[in-house]
Amino acid sequence: MNRFIKLLNFEINRFSKIYAALLAIIIVLQFIGVIVESNSYVQGADRMMMENRWTQEELIKNNGKAGFTLIMDSFWFAGPIAIAAAALIFYIFLIWYREWYGKNTFIYRLLMLPVSRYSIYFAKASAIFLMVLGLVGIQILLLPLENELFEAIVPADFRDVLAVKDLIHSNIITSTLIPATFTQFVLHYLAGLMAVFTLFTAILMERSYRLKGILLGIVYCAAVLAFFISPLIIPAVLDMGDFFYPVEFLVLEIILGLIASACSIVIGQKLLNKKVSV
Amino acid sequence: MIEVKNLTKKYGRRRVLENVSFTAEKGQITCLIGINGVGKTTTLKAIMGLTPYKSGTILIDDEPLTKTSYEKITFIPDAAIMPPSMTIRDAFEFMKDFYGSWNSARAEELLAFFKLKEEFRIAELSKGNIAKINLLMGLAIDVDYLLMDEPFSGIDIFSREQIADVFTSHLIEDRGVIITTHEINDIEHLIDKVILLDNGSVLKEFYTEEMRSEHGKSVIDVMREVYRA
Repeated sequence: MNRFIKLLNFEINRFSKIYAALLAIIIVLQFIGVIVESNSYVQGADRMMMENRWTQEELIKNNGKAGFTLIMDSFWFAGPIAIAAAALIFYIFLIWYREWYGKNTFIYRLLMLPVSRYSIYFAKASAIFLMVLGLVGIQILLLPLENELFEAIVPADFRDVLAVKDLIHSNIITSTLIPATFTQFVLHYLAGLMAVFTLFTAILMERSYRLKGILLGIVYCAAVLAFFISPLIIPAVLDMGDFFYPVEFLVLEIILGLIASACSIVIGQKLLNKKVSV
Repeated sequence: MIEVKNLTKKYGRRRVLENVSFTAEKGQITCLIGINGVGKTTTLKAIMGLTPYKSGTILIDDEPLTKTSYEKITFIPDAAIMPPSMTIRDAFEFMKDFYGSWNSARAEELLAFFKLKEEFRIAELSKGNIAKINLLMGLAIDVDYLLMDEPFSGIDIFSREQIADVFTSHLIEDRGVIITTHEINDIEHLIDKVILLDNGSVLKEFYTEEMRSEHGKSVIDVMREVYRA
């Protein structure tokens, strides 16, 4: 087996228990959310009909029908996704710092492996990317199941029926994670990868220059962010309105994202090869 | 042969190593000696590419260090270097996956010699057993050069004896060893060459046999002479 794949497999295995816990949190909390929110809606509807002596038609006329968006807008749905996202952002730091700190100093072994240090760097980045894709994949699988459960609890007369595709695009979190078009997908995930590479470089700056490195890392992250969003900022500052056509904007963002990622990778590699200290 | 030429390293403004030069040959045990903070560990790390240095040249068999060098040179620090969640078996599997020169039979032989079991978890090993596992993994890679940082530090007398026994065994004889230690008594009889460091510079370099036969002095005698002066 290729040594990069072995490293990647090793990285994924090291996070597998926490990852399984994150998946469990998402699955359990979202299903509990569907049950709690759906029952609460049904009970609320019953109570309103009783109190106001409304018919079913009057209730729907006054309050509208309930859709699965009711669940998606609740904490039960967004909360677990936020927890998983926070855990993965935290893991971007942990994936490097745990090699230096803690009871054992695994960075010694890692840097003494007869593999290119590129492989170590990319194995860590790929592990994070695959974990993100895995969580998104699980969410795509969960949505139709949760929708089925919602439909089983809320009577048909009280609910709006939306296709899963429409549900995804009706919510800001899911539409960000699962964009509608391929170009949006490329843009969102390129930005995500760029963010991972930028943070990796900032971490390696700190590992190379310690206190000065923290400052350097913060400045670097700010510079990359400014560079990436410059097609938004510059026309706004110069009062140029919508200077770019959407296609031009997309192409420009992809180019800037690739340049920023390439810079982060090159600097990160240089630091890992020449500057980091154990 | 490992050649270190004019190695200079700074931490901020503080110069840790200043023009350090020495050689360490295959089949010999070279000992870096000095009081705490003179740059012994930093020298070993610099040789292994684990810390950057300002200037100087380090060659291993006439070649600068590359990724393939790690198949023939290894560093054994005085701390656990495998993840604590691993068992010794997992650690062996990991090493086997990455090192083409991993010698499973030798690893098994040393495991039995050190009276350790594969199912032991790294997190549960004592300091002495960590030192043994580190040494075991270094020797099982079949490297030409072993760099050992304080292998006797903080471990009991029986573990020290076991580790010292390895030095006199067939497992070491053709390899070049660079060792740093404060416990000079334990290995004085095994050392071929001594490099005395002070304030990041080489103070004195000598062969122990020559020192004994020509001047009638032990390593400790020379240390007293040099450091007291």
